Amino acid sequence: MSTGLMGIGMADLLADTRPSGYRPKAKRVLQVFCPGAASHLDLWDYKPELIKHHGQPLPGEEEMVSFQGKNGNLMRSPWDFQRRGQCGKHLSSLLPQLGEFADEMAFVHSMHSKSNTHGPGCLFMNTGFVQEGFPSAGSWMSYALGRENDNLPTYVAIPDVRGEPPNGKANWNSGFLPAQHQGVSINAANPIRNLKLPVGISLEKEEASRDFLRMLNRKHLAERAGDSELAARMASYELAARMQLAAPEVSDLGRESRSTHRAYGTDDSNALKAAYARNCLLARRFLEHGVRYVTLYCGSRASGVDGLMNWDAHKTLKSDYERHAPILDQPTAALLRDMKQRGLLDDTLVLWTTEFGRMPTHQAGTVGRDHNPDAFTTWMLGAGVKGGVSYGATDPFGRRAVQDKATVWDFYATVLHLLGLDHESVSFYHNGIDRRLTDVHGHVIDPILA
Amino acid sequence: MNLWFALLFSLAVAAPFAKGEDETWWAFRPLVDDEIPKASGWAKTPIDSYIEHDLKQRQLGPNPAASRRDFIRRVTYDLLGMPPSADQVAAFEAEESINAEERLMDRLLASPHFGEQWGRHWLDVIRFGESRGFEVNPLIDNAWPFRDYIVRSFNDDKPYDQLVREHLAGDVIGNGDPEIEVGTGFLVAGPDDLVGNQDPLAQAQIRANTLDDIVGATSSAFLGLTVSCARCHDHKFDPIEQADYYRMQATFAGVHHGERVLATKDELAVYERERAPILKEQQHWQTQLTEEEERLLASVELPKSFPLPAPSHYITEDRFDPVKLKLVRLTIHNAEQNASSPAGSKVDEIEVWTAGEELRNVAREAKVTASSKIAADNPAAYGPQWVNDGKFGQHWITDSNAVLTLTWDDPVLVNRVLLSSDRPRNLSPTHGERRFIGDYQLDVSTDGVRWTTVTRENARPPISDAHARQRRLRLAMNPEAAKTLRGIRSSLARVRVRLRAIPAPRTAWAGVFSEPAKPAYLMKRGDPAQRGPEIAPASLTTLQSTSARYELPLQAPEAERRRALSEWLVQADNPLTPRVLANRLWYYHFGTGIVDTPSDFGNMGGRPSHPELLDFLAKRLHDYQWYMKPMHRLILTSAVYQQSSARREEASAVDAQARLLWRFPPRRLRGEEVRDTLLTVANQLDKRQGGPGFRLYQYLRDNVATYVPLERPGAETYRRAVYHQNARAAPVDVLSDFDAPDCALVTPRRVTTTTPLQALTLMNHGFLLDQAALFAQVLSGRTPTEQVHQAFSQAFQRKPEEDELRAAIQLLKIHGGEAFCRALLNANELIYLD
Repeated sequence: MSTGLMGIGMADLLADTRPSGYRPKAKRVLQVFCPGAASHLDLWDYKPELIKHHGQPLPGEEEMVSFQGKNGNLMRSPWDFQRRGQCGKHLSSLLPQLGEFADEMAFVHSMHSKSNTHGPGCLFMNTGFVQEGFPSAGSWMSYALGRENDNLPTYVAIPDVRGEPPNGKANWNSGFLPAQHQGVSINAANPIRNLKLPVGISLEKEEASRDFLRMLNRKHLAERAGDSELAARMASYELAARMQLAAPEVSDLGRESRSTHRAYGTDDSNALKAAYARNCLLARRFLEHGVRYVTLYCGSRASGVDGLMNWDAHKTLKSDYERHAPILDQPTAALLRDMKQRGLLDDTLVLWTTEFGRMPTHQAGTVGRDHNPDAFTTWMLGAGVKGGVSYGATDPFGRRAVQDKATVWDFYATVLHLLGLDHESVSFYHNGIDRRLTDVHGHVIDPILA
Repeated sequence: MNLWFALLFSLAVAAPFAKGEDETWWAFRPLVDDEIPKASGWAKTPIDSYIEHDLKQRQLGPNPAASRRDFIRRVTYDLLGMPPSADQVAAFEAEESINAEERLMDRLLASPHFGEQWGRHWLDVIRFGESRGFEVNPLIDNAWPFRDYIVRSFNDDKPYDQLVREHLAGDVIGNGDPEIEVGTGFLVAGPDDLVGNQDPLAQAQIRANTLDDIVGATSSAFLGLTVSCARCHDHKFDPIEQADYYRMQATFAGVHHGERVLATKDELAVYERERAPILKEQQHWQTQLTEEEERLLASVELPKSFPLPAPSHYITEDRFDPVKLKLVRLTIHNAEQNASSPAGSKVDEIEVWTAGEELRNVAREAKVTASSKIAADNPAAYGPQWVNDGKFGQHWITDSNAVLTLTWDDPVLVNRVLLSSDRPRNLSPTHGERRFIGDYQLDVSTDGVRWTTVTRENARPPISDAHARQRRLRLAMNPEAAKTLRGIRSSLARVRVRLRAIPAPRTAWAGVFSEPAKPAYLMKRGDPAQRGPEIAPASLTTLQSTSARYELPLQAPEAERRRALSEWLVQADNPLTPRVLANRLWYYHFGTGIVDTPSDFGNMGGRPSHPELLDFLAKRLHDYQWYMKPMHRLILTSAVYQQSSARREEASAVDAQARLLWRFPPRRLRGEEVRDTLLTVANQLDKRQGGPGFRLYQYLRDNVATYVPLERPGAETYRRAVYHQNARAAPVDVLSDFDAPDCALVTPRRVTTTTPLQALTLMNHGFLLDQAALFAQVLSGRTPTEQVHQAFSQAFQRKPEEDELRAAIQLLKIHGGEAFCRALLNANELIYLD
């Protein structure tokens, strides 16, 4: 039945799945997820041809119909791209502070998705499957790596203050993996559920109830000596008690200095930016205390207005991204600087992801871009990643990934590799097949490894 | 047959259960009725003979019989999912008749709660959920009739072959009987992606995914086969051709997610009969209304020309003589798209410009107040703050009370107001996002009491005939006419209330069916764009060596396709269906199946621990003509089921998991059982059966659904967990903590985890605290000793031991009943069964 508390399945088997002598550089992962399909063409993927052919039809796809319908002619990015860092990578002026990390980022420009719809797209990016019900990457890491800190969850999802991403809680679901691997959802505004001692129960009262419970359980166990299930459940109550002490401490942002708060922007007059900044700070504190996998969302679900609450800029790209980019830029950059300064980047892998890209054309009748499952950009930096490199490429307009095409499965094969795991060995039997995060696919993207 | 295939066949032969020269995979072979091994005195049924035979081979023996208390707790939970009462335990312990066990199980099998427990098992197997899943994920409010149908079917002991026929083709065989037709709810019990997609290829992919869910659920539930693994290529591990997948896909090509009216002809007739007189009355008032309006309209004409142009999305300017003011009020009478209500109008910016030398937009400095459309999880999303943030692009979206006021602390001298919904001219005329206002009026004031109108609605031409009509009515209105109209309108409202009070014909989420336009085709690599040959609906070739096959014409009517498959699944020579069912029943009784992967009898699945026993049971299902209750009875009567769960060191050393059943495997309760037990023990369980479900979450809907778990679920949720309206991707306290599955995929087998989050929930969540308080209330009014006795009796159906009593009394005296009950409700004894 249960795997008990600590062993947690795969972790014990790790020795067998790692190449001998291999010492993984990464011990934990921070994933920044910008839901709504953040445009590769306006953030990361510089396309001079698109500027040159602005206003002209997209050759060969003049009558293209995509997710929301017809498309117009090519539309250049409203923002300039500037050379950043020693590597001279062209990055959008929309994210000036994140651009500072050009020499540490490894871009994958040739990503593509199996879905052009946010829900399945987010699932695909987070679980490797477009259908619901599969474990998210964080759950897989929790399953594969086990706990680093017994007093905290292994996998924490930090949804945006504006709400949950498309498909909601399915993004941090453990699917068919045991429930202890599901993402625990928490953000600076919402603590871990049921963590707090209820109002009206004093510590003394709590201890008295727990003492009595211990006694009942000990007697019950004594008559069933050797039943590890019962002992495991007793241990889980002690662990819960420790978590009640540890977690609030970790999520107490009051312990950070004023200058740290200022650097992240938690006091910004833009309430959305300040809220995201607090989540960034929370993410660092969790990682520092040994949470294996933290997913930080910047943006939420679809709303009555496309692009209002996330990066889904169908109609008004410029004004949408002028709202979203400042929320993302400074706090995320501050988080990276802070992690670097504390040495956290030495053993933490940072991922930036979104569910798919956007079209190089404008959507008919608008100045926005429609969904583009055929091309998008992600990047990694930190432990084990070679900085200042770009892998794969889209065509001159950024319409499709064409060179060294990379899949979500390749992306996670690489992530698992950096954590010292072979993506083909991290598997779990479910209904007819040993399931993997990488399905039956996946190749490690070697050129971006340090 | 490809190479893989040949290779796998050779593997199959090498498999431990391959016998003799038969190269067929074990699960596909015909059922065999072997000779039952010789029994000892221990054996009560042939089942025991098989078990004992295998135990002996490992030099093991079974346990003695369980105590009466353990047995009644075990079998009551097993059949009803709830604990027995203390009285029932005491009575059973005292009963002297030799067939006490049998009488007990007969009582339980006849209980109306049996179907709740075993129906819930079945709902796992068929991935039944009550929201549509994916991004939009709205609730389905009429899926519960299918849940009730399942509960009823198990209670009535509906033969399984009939259940299978109804699941796949209830509409075909039901002859209009809703109780049978609703069975097709099975087909659409899974998630579907309802986001509209203009890209035809993406649409085809989504449709293929929906069908994949149906193929997967059907093949795993009834056949224990993972046919879905053959979607992109021939199955890697099982002899299932890719074409077999598309044979099944073709079978379901006419199935679509949706609801059907499922009412009897009599119900429909009654409905029409009851409505008829009220409809007539409605017609009468409607005519009155029209006449009255026409009379009013006749009294007012709109001018031929207007001083100002119609409102423009890009910029609508109102100029007036410079005036010193402290308030500007915009009253929107109707929306661009809807002449009879202002709700849904969008304004991206309002500017108020100073008069005189120095031109300045003072709107930025004003306080703005207005109600707006609300997104519950993000209340400011559509708020009025967007109209004076100095930026275009984000909109104030109005509700039906569309009045906006700008207020300044100090008077401002102004002469111009600008309104727009698409100032940057970004959007084409058809885009919903620029839906502007229709008729409006602008007033100013210095004190908020006396108002001066600066722009009357008649200053601009109406934007449509409907708007013109509404405006004329507004202008022509007088107190007398208003009174008459109010009277008519309230009569109409009353009529509507009466109409609504007549229950609409029942509908259920049972799928809708239509003839596919084209034959199905094989999709190479599972990609709808890569067309392979056309594929006819047919049985799986996989089983053709044992089971007579069928193939329908390419264009066979879709109903016929489903009916043919259902018949094939239960035909006498199909060995998989009875094996899979027998194994499922065994799994739920013993915690592990004879095949420990109940929906996978393929190569990746487990091998049967007792293959001859499995066939013996499968054969009995045929003998019993697919009735399941006799099978339950057979299993429950067995000595192996009735033995104790005591652990023996020497046996554990050989077979720690007790797969050979040298003891009855103890178990933890399932999520639903945990919650039902907490409610039962606290004396709060509402045993009302059926009907719409309850919710342990707050349901928010703004484009997409959001589910917020409740902190303190009320007494209306104190029903059995099987009646919870399980939404997808919506974990709730207690149930999800204790491994109740997210119903996105089939769950043929539950995992049992032990986590600190469970401890946190059961110690601190509002539900638990409420149950502890209610439990304490039930106990109160007695002496502490009596309270402890009563509590142990309700929770564990036993007396407290001396030291338990002492400790309990101390806890009670110092910290009160709630502290005591909170501890009891967390005890291992409460949720572990011997």
